[in-house]
Parts: sequence; C-alpha cells; structure tokens
Amino acid sequence: MKLLALLAVAVLVGLPWVVGSYLVTVMIFIFFYAYLGQAWNIVGGYAGQLSAGHAAFVGIGGYAAALLSARAGLSPWLGMWIGGALAAALGAVIGYLGFRFGLRGFYFVLLTVAFAEICRVVALNVDAVGGALGLYITFTGDPRQFQFQDNRVYYYIALVLMLAATALVWAIERHRFGAYLTAIRQDESACEALGVDTLRVKMLAMILSSFLTGIGGTFYAFYLFSLQPNAVFGIPLSVEIVIRPIVGGAGTVMGPLLGSFILSPLAEISRTYFAQGGWTGLHLIVYGVLLIAVVLFLPQGAYPALRRLVPRRPA
Amino acid sequence: MDATLVGQGLLSGFLFGGVYSLMAVGLTLIFGVMRVVNFAHGDMMVWGMYMAWLLSVRAGIDPYVGFLVCAAGLFVLGFVIQRGLVERIVDAPHEMQILLMLGVALVLENAALVAFGPDPARVRSPVAQGTIWLGPIFVDVARLLTFALAMVLTAALWLFLTRTDLGRSMRAAADNPYGARVIGTDVRTVYAAAFGVGAACVGAAGALVSPILPFQPTSGLGLSVTSFNIVIIGGMGSLPGAFVAGILVSVAESMGAVFLSPSMKELVSFGLLIAILLFRPAGLFGKTAA
Amino acid sequence: MTNRTSRGTDRRTFLKVTGAAAGASALVGFPAVLRAQAPAFKIGVVHPVTGPLAEPGQACRLGAQMAADAINAAGGIKALNGAKLELIFGDTQTKPDVGRTEAERVVTQGAQMLMGSFDSGSTAAMVPVAQQRRVPFLVDIAAADPITANVAKSVRDGQQKVQYVYRNFPTGSSFGRKAVQYFGEVFKEAGVSPKRVVLMYCNDLFGQNNAKGFQAAHAAAKPSWEIVDVIPWPEPPQDLSTEVSRAKAAKPDVIAPITRPASAQLLLPEIRKQRLDIMGIVGPGSPGLYEAGQLAVLKEDLEYVMASTPWANFKNPRTQKVAEDYLKRSGGKTFDTNSGYSYDGMMLIADILERARSTDADTIVESIKKTNYGSGLMQYAGPIVFDEIGDNPNAVTTMIQVLGQKAVAVWPKDAAVQKFVFPRPKR
Repeated sequence: MKLLALLAVAVLVGLPWVVGSYLVTVMIFIFFYAYLGQAWNIVGGYAGQLSAGHAAFVGIGGYAAALLSARAGLSPWLGMWIGGALAAALGAVIGYLGFRFGLRGFYFVLLTVAFAEICRVVALNVDAVGGALGLYITFTGDPRQFQFQDNRVYYYIALVLMLAATALVWAIERHRFGAYLTAIRQDESACEALGVDTLRVKMLAMILSSFLTGIGGTFYAFYLFSLQPNAVFGIPLSVEIVIRPIVGGAGTVMGPLLGSFILSPLAEISRTYFAQGGWTGLHLIVYGVLLIAVVLFLPQGAYPALRRLVPRRPA
Repeated sequence: MDATLVGQGLLSGFLFGGVYSLMAVGLTLIFGVMRVVNFAHGDMMVWGMYMAWLLSVRAGIDPYVGFLVCAAGLFVLGFVIQRGLVERIVDAPHEMQILLMLGVALVLENAALVAFGPDPARVRSPVAQGTIWLGPIFVDVARLLTFALAMVLTAALWLFLTRTDLGRSMRAAADNPYGARVIGTDVRTVYAAAFGVGAACVGAAGALVSPILPFQPTSGLGLSVTSFNIVIIGGMGSLPGAFVAGILVSVAESMGAVFLSPSMKELVSFGLLIAILLFRPAGLFGKTAA
Repeated sequence: MTNRTSRGTDRRTFLKVTGAAAGASALVGFPAVLRAQAPAFKIGVVHPVTGPLAEPGQACRLGAQMAADAINAAGGIKALNGAKLELIFGDTQTKPDVGRTEAERVVTQGAQMLMGSFDSGSTAAMVPVAQQRRVPFLVDIAAADPITANVAKSVRDGQQKVQYVYRNFPTGSSFGRKAVQYFGEVFKEAGVSPKRVVLMYCNDLFGQNNAKGFQAAHAAAKPSWEIVDVIPWPEPPQDLSTEVSRAKAAKPDVIAPITRPASAQLLLPEIRKQRLDIMGIVGPGSPGLYEAGQLAVLKEDLEYVMASTPWANFKNPRTQKVAEDYLKRSGGKTFDTNSGYSYDGMMLIADILERARSTDADTIVESIKKTNYGSGLMQYAGPIVFDEIGDNPNAVTTMIQVLGQKAVAVWPKDAAVQKFVFPRPKR
C-alpha cells in the first residue's frame, strides 16, 4: 500500500512535464478542492459536524490576504497566515455558538450556512472591501507576491497543500484526537458519559479545519486574481467543498482525494462534451444524475466501497 | 421617518408573508413526516411556476385556477422521487440524503434551463393587477389573494393531517415508524404520499406565487434558502409555525428595508435565524424533542 | 491524435513555415486550387452560457458565431491566405474558476486569440491566462475598470513586458459620465428642470459599479438636479414593494433604476401600482429595460422608459441586416448590446488580423494598438481605438426609449432614430 502511494506521488510530481497546460490547470483544481475537502473532513467527516458554510473561511482567508497585499503591501506568503488565523477565529465563534448551544445535524448545517450568507451580504455591501465589484489583483508574476509566470509552480504548491493536509489527517486518525473525533461522530452522549470534553474536542476540530480552509483562500485569491463575494462566500462553493469528501468517503483519509479525482474530471468531461448549442445545461443534468447514482449505489462513499473490493493482504 | 412609509412597509411585509408561508408549508411537511431535508425544494417550486406559466400561455388558464393542476403534477413528481430515490437511502448517513437531493436539484434546475431557456418569466394574471387604496396606504390585490390562499391551504393541510386516515397515518409514521409498521401501516406508501403531498404544496405555492415573483431556472437556490430560514424559525414540522414564521420574516425584512439599507435586508432574516438556532432551536412552534 | 503542442513557439513556427510555403507556391504561379490552404485561425470564445447569466451569454456566443460565419463566407482572412476563423467555445458557468479553466482549455486546443467573457469575475480570472500564455485577449463585454487597468499598470511598472488584454466596451466609469451628461442634455432639450432624482439599483457587481460611477459623475458635474435617495436591493429580489415605498417617500421627479431583467419585472409594475407621480423613469444603463422578452412581459409598464445603454446603430443598414439575421437564427430575439458587442468584437479581430498579417502574438498586439476601425455596428463616438490602458474611449452609451413598444435610440441627436418623449404623459 505504501509503495502504491509513493508511486502515485512520483507520477503526480512528474506529470506537469509531460502534459499540456490545460491538464495542469485541471489538476491544480483537483488538488485544490481535495485540499479544501480534506480540511473540511476534519470537522465534517471525522467529527461528523456537517458544515455547509466552509466557503466563509475561504472568503475570509482570501480577502484578508488580498487586502493586506493591496493596502499594506504585505506579501501573501505572510498574509496567508493572518487570513488563516482570521478564518479560525470565525470558526471558533461558529463552533462555540453551535456546540455550546447543542446544535446537531441539520440545525448545525443551517447555522454554518447562515454565517456564510451573512459574510457574503456584508462583503457585498461594504465598500472598503470592494463591495460587489470585489477585489482584483494585479498580475505581476512576482514570486514574492505569490504570483508565478509558470502554471506549473501553482501545480506544485497545490500538490504540496493537498499532500500536507492528507498527512495531517492521517496523523490525526492515528492519534488519540482522531479516536475522540470518531467516537463523537458515532455517539456523542456516550462520549460525554465517559468523561470526554466533547466541546473542547469539537472546537479544536473546527478551528483546525477553518484555519486550513482560510489558507486555501489565499491560494484561491492569488490563482484566480479576483475575489467576488458571490463566488467566494456563496453556497455553490460550499457545495463543491463538501461534495468531494462525501462522494469519496467522509471520515476517511483518502475520501476527499478520491472524491476530487472522480468529480473534477467528470465535471470537465461533461462540460466539454455535453454543453453544445441549444442543449446548454445538459452537462449539469449529467453531473446531477451522476451524483444521484453515486449516492444510491455507494452511500458510504467511494473509498470504503473500493476497500471492500480489494482483499486485505497480510501485512 | 415617514409614518406612511413605516405603515406601508408593515402592511406590505405582512401581506408578502403569505407568499413566504406558502413556500415554507410544503417543506415543513416533508421534514416533519420524514425527517428528510428537501434541498430540491426551491427547484421543485420553480417547476411549479413554469407549469403555471405553460398553462397560462398555452391554455389561457389563470394561475389562481391552474394551481390545482400544478399541485397534481408535483404530487406525482414527489411520489416518484420518494419511491424511486429517497427510500433507498433511508438508512444511509445523513450526508447522503443531502447529496441526493442536491443531485435532484441540479437535474431539475438544468432540465428547466434546457426546456424553457434562461430568460426570466412571469405569469400575467388579470386578477393580480389591482390595488386597493386606504388613504395614503395601498393594498396589493395579488398579495392579498395569496395571503388568503396561504391561510386556506395551511388550514386544509392541517385538517388533512388531523382528520383523515391518510393524514393520521402520516403523523403516526412520523412519530413512530416501527410502531406504525407493527399495526400494519404500509409505511413505504405513506412516506411516498407524504412526500407527494409536500411536493404538491410546493407546486401550488409556485403557481400561486408566479404572478408576483419573476422566476428563472436559477431561482431555485434563493427560494430554498429563504424557505429553510422560515421553516427553522417556525419550527420544523409545524404548520402553524411555517405560517407565522413566514409573516414574521417578511415583516422583519420589510422593516429592515425601511430603516436600514434594503440590500441588507437578508441580514435581518439571517440574524433572526441565528437567534432562533441559539435560543430556541426547535423554533417558535416546534416540539422540543429535536 | 497528435498532441497539438501548447508551446507557442512550435505552433507559430509551424504556421510561419506553412505560410511561407503557401506564399512561395503562389509566387511560382500554381493554380489556385493547388495553393496550400492556410490553416484555420482559432479563436477561443468564452461566455457564461449556463448559470444565472445564461441569457446574455448565449446571445454573445451567437453574435460571435454569426460574425465569424460572415467573415468566412467572404473568404476568411485574406492577409493570412484566406484562413478561416474557427471558434472554440467555452462556458464559464458564471464562475471565475471555471472561466479560468475554460480559457486554459481553449488555448491548449489551439486558440490563438481569446474573446469574452461578459461577467467581470470570469474575465478577470482569464487575464492571467492571456498574460502567462501570451495570447491576445479581446474583452468584448465586461465593465469592471481593473480588468485592463491592472495589466496596464503592471506593464508600466515593468513587471510584465507586453499587455495582451484589450477591451472594446464602455467601462464602469464611462457609463456614469455619459449617463449624467445625457440626463442634463435631455432635461435641457425637453425644457424642464427636475430637481429630485432617486437612484435605485440592483446590488450586484454591475449595479454597484454603475451606481458608483453615476454618483461619482454626478458629484463631479454638479448639475441642477440632486440624487435625493439611493436605494439598493439584493439581486435577485423577491419583493420590491418596500423599496418603491421608500422611493415614493423621497418625493422624486425622476426614478433612475439600474436593473437586471428579473428585478425590472418587479420594479416597473410596482412603480405603477404605488402611483408614483414622476416625470419619467430614466435608467443610467442596465439590462432589463428594453429586451424583447421584457417587453412581452411588462408591456405598457415599459412604455416611455429611457435607459442610457450601449446600443446598436440602427441607422446603419448593415446593422439592420444583421439584426434580421439574428432574429431568425435566435428564434425571435432582438439584436442587442450583448450579441452586438460580441459581433463587433469578432469583426474587430478580423480587422486586427488583416493588418497584422501574422499569427504571432506580439505582432497581433502591435496591430491591436494601431486599431482605427470604423465599421462597427454598435453606436460609437468615433472609430474603435485603444488607449494606454487598453480600453476604447469611443465606446459609449446611447439614450434609448421604449416608444410604441419598441426600443429606439433617442439621444444624442445624430444617433436618434426618433424624438424622445419627456416628461412622460400623465396616466
């Protein structure tokens, strides 16, 4: 298994030198969304606290880094940490409100959505952060400004982010913290009865998750060169973040990666081949049907299903 | 602050609350009976609106009459969705249910795009054009009518759930599915019927609202978010809750538009939502066993 | 399938060689039928054909296609040996990340120029692709000023060598200036002096941008009329009754709305229902106040409504012909701003290529800078030229009005097809 993983990483490292720039861009988004999905996985998959408002953290991280860069000349390499910290602060607030007041399941989902929507409406209306026009970043290609002339550098950054987040989740799974998270997901009352400080554990998961997502926001801002409230705080982005780990297998290490490697190419292919002429929109129907099919036939996610197919080898 | 403006805002908000209530009633029914969060709610409503548009444009049927056809059509759709799709994942993790309905939402939204094109549409109803003036304040006939119909629909649904056998089976199956099976209730059909009835409400709401709200295939998401807000504030599964919350949210937004900036009126309803979630998550009328 | 290389130099060398070979054989006097046919010139055309902006996005795509068809029917690009224009379409789904991926995809599939993409977010995301891959990018529609301004600045500061992004569309700031100018001119010509104007706008990128431009231009021009209230609403709105009540409470002479099609369908009947006693509705420029679909729904509520918007020059007989063709090919839609600017954009690209006589990106950019194109179908204040920022200062708006259920140009006088009606008649 480890050999397979190393081989896969080697392939990914070498890929940009053999394929064209378009495929490199597709891979960048696969890695990036896998990274965001992995960050979400900590609190949404392992801890079982479904958040449908993670776009708020992307937005805060991105806006913070972009504003610091444009107004204070602070390099995004530094700004990203501040963005992550601010996102973590919001995560702490949402987490505290949600967990302290005992919101579970769908109610917690809606709380996260409400906060993301509030961020969106505020960003849309406050001129100081760009309002509906959003923020535009000047293209300079200067590495000190987290900009690169060559697409491949972004590829490696995104790859590193994805691998680092995956390594972190892998480590968490093997640590006591991971055991607490899983236990809380399965039966929170039992955990409390056993004396686990569930509030503290969940808060930690939420803060970690939102911090990492905030850093992702900086990448988003400096790769796309523009931030718009509806795009970066909106529900569609939250859906993209959440869909990949769920399809791939929430609460597993490989889930977000698998989900991203399945869904992103699927979206690309269905858009390239089905979006013709008077049938615009057909490709999104295909996307929707595929989602339904995955849910019906692989409800635990793709990764656990794959594990069942591969017989366990003796160590 | 102009007293007329405030008064008008209160009245307009109150009447528009009928629209909101209609939107929310179907959603709360589905959740109340089946604990399914219908993320395709807004998109189903958009289909109800388009059906009303078709009836109006192709057959000249006024939406205030045609809504019954829309309700029937959406009933079938809801029944099929439940029987064909939702039922299969009744035991799967919560996230899967959300994902399934999201997939359904995607399919519905883009099917509407392919079928009707992207332009916004609106249904013209001669009934809906009038205004009644009370001094400096006016009452919009279309909204008044919708408000009245929302009350009637909610009452009819209430009677259905409490006085008919099917309705009582639905509530029994909601409270205690095992118990319901034990006494011989065909729970699968009951669930499918519940989803169907909920969808029918959504379809009727779409039709009745179509002369007031312009709509496009992409309107679904906004309608879903608004409806979820209202249902949570009123209490998931509570019909009177949906009705009252619809009015409450609409009046709050209207006052937000009068005193703050209208572009921020959504903040008011989200603020209300958060307050409810924190201090009374069961909602204003909800039962406390969440 | 041979992997069409994405490394620009190889492709350009290939084309140069082919072009040279074709030229050489022409000199030798081969019969025309044996002359090497120049490979098609590929243009990536990216618009939001699905999602909330699907309606204008599809119009843009059709406009571009029609122009390309016309150019190809007339023999292609003569300076490139009759090379036909081949369009590679992309769909941004109104999402910036998708816009960027689509731009990458079409460039990898061989696009040598880019055109797009209507919404400023996706357009901004495509700018780095144009700069990184050195692909000239003609923005046919998108108003946000930073799209070109940022690139111009980075070239001035020496961080980028060449500017590859150019725009043939009025910018947000020019929308505002023209609107304020037209307001004053129309009021003067009508012989009335309204004092109180209420600005109402949809709170999305376009609406906010235009509203700010309008207010800034008003502050700079200091005309005799005041903006007494500013009322934004969330787009798309579900209900505008309170907003209109608020406008009424400000006792306006004129309502200045910036709308989208959906909000216009709510706003105009509401203004009628609440019996606002106003001289007229004059928009600083937005969609929703003139399209065929809107007229079909709003009917008399749109009558006498004016808007300062980029518009086609219907006095030009060529425009009328294209509009007829568009009506047929689109199944009944009007040839408007969106289809029009994409059409002109494609014609402009053909002109640029004719003068460049080359497919080399930097040569094309030089040709762009020297543009002086007077055959546009849209209403311009002069020939299409590009300034130091990369914008066309002659891209302007026209005041149109719905008269007899038809939207026609009414101001300035040389663009006017009919005389305007202001104040509007009392109901």
